[in-house]
Amino acid sequence: MWGASANKGRGAPPAGAAAPRAPIKMLIVDDSNIVRRRIERSQQFDNLVVIGSAANGVEALEIFAKTDPDVVTMDLTMPMMDGIECIGRMVAKRPSVRILVISALADKATAVEAMERGANGFLNKPFTDRQLNEAIEELIR
Amino acid sequence: MTVTGVERRRDVITVAIGTALAVLMGVVLAAGIRQATRLHAEIAALQTASSLQNYPEDIARELDTLRERLEIRAYSGRALADLRATVSRFDASLRATTAGDVLDAADLARTQRLWHQYDPVLAPVLAFHGQPYADSDTSGSTLSREGRAHFAQVKRAQLFAAVHAKALQDHLVLGVRRLQASASAAAAQLRALLLAGVLAALVLAAAAAYLQITRARDQRAAREAEERTRDILKTVREGFFLLDRDNRIGSVWSEALTRMFNRGDFAGLSFEDLLRDLVPATTLATAVKYVNLLWGDRAHENLMKSINPLGQLEVTAEDGRGGTETRYLQFDFHRVVGPKGVRHVLCAVGDVTSSVLLARELQESQQSANAQLDMMVGMMRTDPVQLASFLDSADAGLKHVNAILKEPARTDTEFRRKPGSIMRELHSLKGEAAALDLQSIADRLHALEDLVGNCQAKATLSGDDFLPVVVKLDELLAYLRGVREMASRISVSPQSEAVPAGDVLAATLQTMAAQLARDHAKRFTLNTAGLGGVPPQYARTLKDCLIQLVRNAAVHGIEAPEVRSRCAKSDVGRVSAEFRAAGANYELIFEDDGAGIAPEALKETALRRNLITAAEASSMDMRGAMALMFRPGFSTADGASRDAGRGVGMDVIARNVYALGGRIGVSTNPGKFTRFKITLPAVEAAGSSAVA
Repeated sequence: MWGASANKGRGAPPAGAAAPRAPIKMLIVDDSNIVRRRIERSQQFDNLVVIGSAANGVEALEIFAKTDPDVVTMDLTMPMMDGIECIGRMVAKRPSVRILVISALADKATAVEAMERGANGFLNKPFTDRQLNEAIEELIR
Repeated sequence: MTVTGVERRRDVITVAIGTALAVLMGVVLAAGIRQATRLHAEIAALQTASSLQNYPEDIARELDTLRERLEIRAYSGRALADLRATVSRFDASLRATTAGDVLDAADLARTQRLWHQYDPVLAPVLAFHGQPYADSDTSGSTLSREGRAHFAQVKRAQLFAAVHAKALQDHLVLGVRRLQASASAAAAQLRALLLAGVLAALVLAAAAAYLQITRARDQRAAREAEERTRDILKTVREGFFLLDRDNRIGSVWSEALTRMFNRGDFAGLSFEDLLRDLVPATTLATAVKYVNLLWGDRAHENLMKSINPLGQLEVTAEDGRGGTETRYLQFDFHRVVGPKGVRHVLCAVGDVTSSVLLARELQESQQSANAQLDMMVGMMRTDPVQLASFLDSADAGLKHVNAILKEPARTDTEFRRKPGSIMRELHSLKGEAAALDLQSIADRLHALEDLVGNCQAKATLSGDDFLPVVVKLDELLAYLRGVREMASRISVSPQSEAVPAGDVLAATLQTMAAQLARDHAKRFTLNTAGLGGVPPQYARTLKDCLIQLVRNAAVHGIEAPEVRSRCAKSDVGRVSAEFRAAGANYELIFEDDGAGIAPEALKETALRRNLITAAEASSMDMRGAMALMFRPGFSTADGASRDAGRGVGMDVIARNVYALGGRIGVSTNPGKFTRFKITLPAVEAAGSSAVA
């Protein structure tokens, strides 16, 4: 009885049997506002909730610490702190986080570097909706 | 994986069969030993029992003997001793039989019972000691009292034995028969066991032979498979190798690697060492990181394929002839996954040099095809005879340029002479190309002119400065060869032999005039006459002259139609060129009814170009002013375009004409006309004058 009221009090979704599937929390990191909105609008997963977006690595780490997302889309070239470093810090903090690098940098060395730091997927800009969704699906499967 | 599984199962079966057969053999042997032991015991028992069966008869016979001895009053001690011995032996044997469990228990019991019945009758007989006879002189030997008693006992025993010996013997014989039967059964069993043992041994041998054959066959198959694998690895064009967990190359790799990497020590070589000398350090670091990622479970195949940094690796290696060669290698990685995760990374290396170069060539040939298409369009619009004639003169002209470039030169002054001569040659060729609307060739000549212009602009000149010109010139010559070939292929059959040279020149000039009129929004007609009479020795020079003059007339002479209208002239200008014999000489009269040439305008331009000083200008008469237009570097149009303004045109004409021993005269009336008169000596005279 009190468990239910506690849930209501905090406004958190009830964990376990009540929810059919726990929602997957996604954080979008990109210095371009347009790209952030594009990713948010184009993803087509019912159980995916965008819990935040950041325009640089520092901001991304702050939101990451607060919201503990399951999935992160990560730009590489950003002010303050670049994506490669940001990936490293996120993975160090929470190794199970799954990171999709979305970057216009097409050179393979950067992709390998990102993967080595702990990224799980790589998507080149510009991308189609279909490519984005396939890449996300690969990530959350 | 499957092969080893099958092998393991086969091994288990082999061991099981071997063990089973060995156990069977053991059991058979143990049973045989037991049976043999039993047989041995039974044979011993049989011997004992056989010896027993005669005793009752012996006892009976010996009792008979004893009675007979007593009856005839003979010595009976010996007989009694024999009887005692026999009884004692029998008793001992029977006791031994009892102890040795030789006879059947029932048989033994009956025998003992019968023997016990003997005991009371035999015991007194055997117990007799002493003398049975009493000797007297009267009656001789008679039985003594003890003797009589003894005799009576003997008679009783003899009677008893006569009655019972047979029964006892029968019992014993029966027992012996039983024993015989049992022993022979045991022998039969032993034989059966031995047979079974032999059979088992045969089966064991057969099984061993079968397994040996199977194994040999498998080994042969394995060897053949290995050979086939080796053959594949030897002949396949791709380089294949497996990387183990330490990123070292395994013992199996394809021969093609030797060619690709110029080495043969792949087994045990680390992936990093393989690439170390071939690629820059950064690429190497990325490659190693990438291969390490392949061992992880994070990245799936497609993603890894898409970020493969070694998809087209440029490697530079010695070519074995002291130089280096660049090749392109394509590395593909595949993870070999076993039940416990990634077991190996298979790496396939392909030499894609030819396809990379092919792609490049394709790109280049596409560009050149586009240029050729342009060219072709130009050629199709061009009269075949004019084209052939142009190609001939272009060939001659460029060879001349080449000769100028090759002329030995040491000093700056000597070098500085070259660009001017080259420029004049190129310019005249460009004029011809433009006249024929061969845009692509004109562009190339223009580019070459720019390069020569660069040389002219340099403060000091050396042979190296001309290198770009030489390269470009070779390209142009090759291009022209291509054009000639194309011309012959699109059946632009050069019929120049059939068509008089003069007509060709006239047609070229007409084409050029039409194009110039179009380009400069001018309207004029060109009339030519007598061009067929140009001696071959003058053809080249006069052609250059006419092209230059037509261009000058079109650009500078003839006014725009509206200007002409204002000056009360006909809209359509007139340009004429006439070649004729004049006495011993030849004359070319070139005339246009255009704006004429103002001497003051010529002076101004020459001043502006720093060809003369202001003082010279003011003191210069009309004749001197007119001569300015033949000076190198003089141009009256600003900027360089394809058909005018380069400022070498008129000096080309003048030089060439002077070289042939000719003269140029100009007469003009501003606003009315310009007339050039080129006088050339008779052909024979030209030769001597040229030499002089």
